[in-house]
Amino acid sequence: MLKRLTVVVFIAAGLLALLAGLVAVAGPGRAEAVPAFARQYDLQCNACHTRPPRLNRFGEQFHMMGFQIPSAAQPGGIVTNVREDGTVKTLIDSLALRVEGGLFEYSASPRETETKFAPPDEITLFVARPLLPELSIFIEIEGEPNAVAFENGRYFQRGQFGLGKEAFFMLNLGRLLGALGAPTMEMGGQTMVGTHGGFSMHGPMLMAGKVDPNTNFSYATNRQLIAPTELEVAHGKVERLPVVPYAFASKFFGLFKNRDEREPQLATDQVMYNTSGAPGADFHAMLNDVVLGQVGFLRENEGFNTYMAARFDLLDRGEFTFNVSALMNWGFGVVRAPDPEDHNQPGSNRLDRLRYGMAANVRWKQLDVYGAVIWDRLYGLPGELRGSFDRSATGLTIQVDYLVHEKVMLSSRFDQLWAGGLKDEKRDGSVLSLQAKFYPWQNIAFFVRDSVNLRSFVENSPLRNWRNQLFVGIDWGF
Amino acid sequence: MRAKLFTSLAIGVLGLLVGLWLVPPPATRANGDKHEEKGGHAHMPAPLEYADIHVPTSVWTDPAMITRGKEVYASRCAVCHGDQGDGKGPAGVALPLKPPDFRDKDGVAEMRDNYWFWRVSEGGQVEPFKGKGSAMPPWKGELSVDDRWAVMAYQHTFSGHNGPHVPWGHPESIAMGRDIFVMACVPCHGVTGKGDGSVGSMLSPRRAPQPRDFTSAEFKFRSTPSGQLPTTADLFRTLTEGVRSSGGPMTIGLRGHRIMPSFQHMPVAQRLEVLEYVKSLNRGFWQRGVVKTVTVPAPPPLTPERLTRGKQLYGDAECLACHGTRGRGDGPSAPMLKDNRDLSIAATDLTRPARFKNGARPEDVYRTLVTGLAGTPMPSYGDSLEPDQVWDLAYYVLSLSRGGQSAQTGSR
Repeated sequence: MLKRLTVVVFIAAGLLALLAGLVAVAGPGRAEAVPAFARQYDLQCNACHTRPPRLNRFGEQFHMMGFQIPSAAQPGGIVTNVREDGTVKTLIDSLALRVEGGLFEYSASPRETETKFAPPDEITLFVARPLLPELSIFIEIEGEPNAVAFENGRYFQRGQFGLGKEAFFMLNLGRLLGALGAPTMEMGGQTMVGTHGGFSMHGPMLMAGKVDPNTNFSYATNRQLIAPTELEVAHGKVERLPVVPYAFASKFFGLFKNRDEREPQLATDQVMYNTSGAPGADFHAMLNDVVLGQVGFLRENEGFNTYMAARFDLLDRGEFTFNVSALMNWGFGVVRAPDPEDHNQPGSNRLDRLRYGMAANVRWKQLDVYGAVIWDRLYGLPGELRGSFDRSATGLTIQVDYLVHEKVMLSSRFDQLWAGGLKDEKRDGSVLSLQAKFYPWQNIAFFVRDSVNLRSFVENSPLRNWRNQLFVGIDWGF
Repeated sequence: MRAKLFTSLAIGVLGLLVGLWLVPPPATRANGDKHEEKGGHAHMPAPLEYADIHVPTSVWTDPAMITRGKEVYASRCAVCHGDQGDGKGPAGVALPLKPPDFRDKDGVAEMRDNYWFWRVSEGGQVEPFKGKGSAMPPWKGELSVDDRWAVMAYQHTFSGHNGPHVPWGHPESIAMGRDIFVMACVPCHGVTGKGDGSVGSMLSPRRAPQPRDFTSAEFKFRSTPSGQLPTTADLFRTLTEGVRSSGGPMTIGLRGHRIMPSFQHMPVAQRLEVLEYVKSLNRGFWQRGVVKTVTVPAPPPLTPERLTRGKQLYGDAECLACHGTRGRGDGPSAPMLKDNRDLSIAATDLTRPARFKNGARPEDVYRTLVTGLAGTPMPSYGDSLEPDQVWDLAYYVLSLSRGGQSAQTGSR
């Protein structure tokens, strides 16, 4: 008994050391499509993706169950893979590379344009595979030659290399509940809670490390077909804010991430979902194949988030699926209010943030429509700022994808920002993006994308000091 | 300070969870089989040799069959199972594994007809029943198939259920397969199994292949003659191997050939469970009577003469009209090919065995040639070619691949 306990303690310590390692390093990141899984399962990319990187229903199930073919996990895990395929092949099958880059053109007005190359703006190495039937890892190692850093009060471009947005392990806790007395069912090497024909629960799955809980939401903003543009900086200041799904953005002008470094929290920074790397833990479980419940916590700036979300798969009939999600998130001290005397400096007050919202996804034949509306509200604002600071903000994002041809995906996204924050700085934004993505092979896409600022041009607003953005690029996964 | 407290708390909780996870769950909670908990009679899927023996639905309510079954039961079964079917016959009381109580409505409802037939036929002489001490004799040598069905129909009357004993009347008998189906199959095959899940239309839009409609009469991958439903073993093979794509854009530099994943790591019993659920979606499996299969003879030696004859047949049988002279799927008819849903379908590139949907071993190619692929333009040559000619053609087809290696080794 003592020996078994010692083994348990050692294994637990090992896993925790892995978790600590993942948590310790931080770096920016983006969406993922992982050809490593295509190699491991000898499966086409499109079996899991509507088109990479967006997941289809099967891909969502695959992700939810810890990157395992549902009900058919490899019984011996990686040990069997090494024995059957050899070390080298197992290692190669665990790795994937993704390169994105292209040519970017800004247009401030019909007479002012700026064109530049964006040489591979992101190179990501993935290490991803199941280790045991109920344990898997997913690690992004990312290089960004044009990353924007903030230091000593100034923005500048500096190449970055390190752990990407997501680096976590995923553990099926079904057995844990079984040990505690719950009825369990073994399905393909994985443990389910419940009884056949009665209540059933897949998971709960623990996802810990640098996690993004967004994949289970009806709008998975961390797997976007229309990738966000880059933050533009010049002379140490923000020149132009990126075009991102505004529903998931910070939405407030004038906030700061922290006090010591005085780094601003930009209105388009992604928070909670699709962040640049948030250590935390996420629990999710699928109940009766209809409700996906999720709770967790994440660090954010100087504070941390707690969140809960639920997705309801309401309809699945004749090539038509419909699901809705609801999200509620409370961020404890996650941003810092500006100093009431000097709005360019962080003040002493850390603010709590309540975020709530809903999303929906309809799929019918080659059409995929999804959208989210998210409200944010800040608490703890200093009394002196109450007259000059709007503490509520809302974002709306709707995207339509249509597979016009097997190799051509047309996408259109509308983003609406009803911004909050300092009233003399804040601007609302409306952007329409159109994109055509051509996949000559399933893992290589060439795309042309155009974003249009639907609001009036404002010279001194980094959100609206542009009219048009044209981007021609390549997205290659290997 | 707050962050440190938060981190310590998180690590503590995680440590506890990981430690508990390593403790295995109690072994008794196995797959929710209520009947097993009551009497130790596990209701497992019938093995493949019995999986296709489904009792015609009329048998369960046919008075003549029930009367005949009563006679057989009285003379062979009642001594252990009791006159009232309660498992308390005089010879059954002392047995280590007690005969089941046929009045147990829940327990009977969980038994599928092919499982029941298997038990009556083989008795307790097969595992796991033998290991549990079952003393039931095998009746396959003494009772005809009709007599075994008759006695099952009579035993069924003890449960108080009056209709046919079929899965769509007893959903609990296929509950496990349904759970697996929902998790693993619905995204492509749809909730009702009509092949209309949300994935198929994005996977290969407006062209074949599309996910199989399990409710239809047409299944591509069979060992049964053209126009018939597949055997459970055929379905098992497809589930185990997955399905490869013969056309459309590929993943460059990757393996990634399958459009349907291989479920080879799903335990055999669970694969059979999900197939029992799949079959329950199509009542044709209960109406087809005796199942005939195509016999694949042992592969003859590969000789140059055989390849020469195969090449001649390739032209004579019009293979080149679709697959092209060099087998690249670029024959003159290829652009016009349609499947039974009027969707464009690619002629398989025979130079790439890795894309053969129905397998690339010599015996797989033989079977494909004899059975054809239902619902596609690929015909059956079972009636027009002799077995030896089919081998000639199979070897020639495999020789079209680069180096012709597959003719020797094959792969799936």
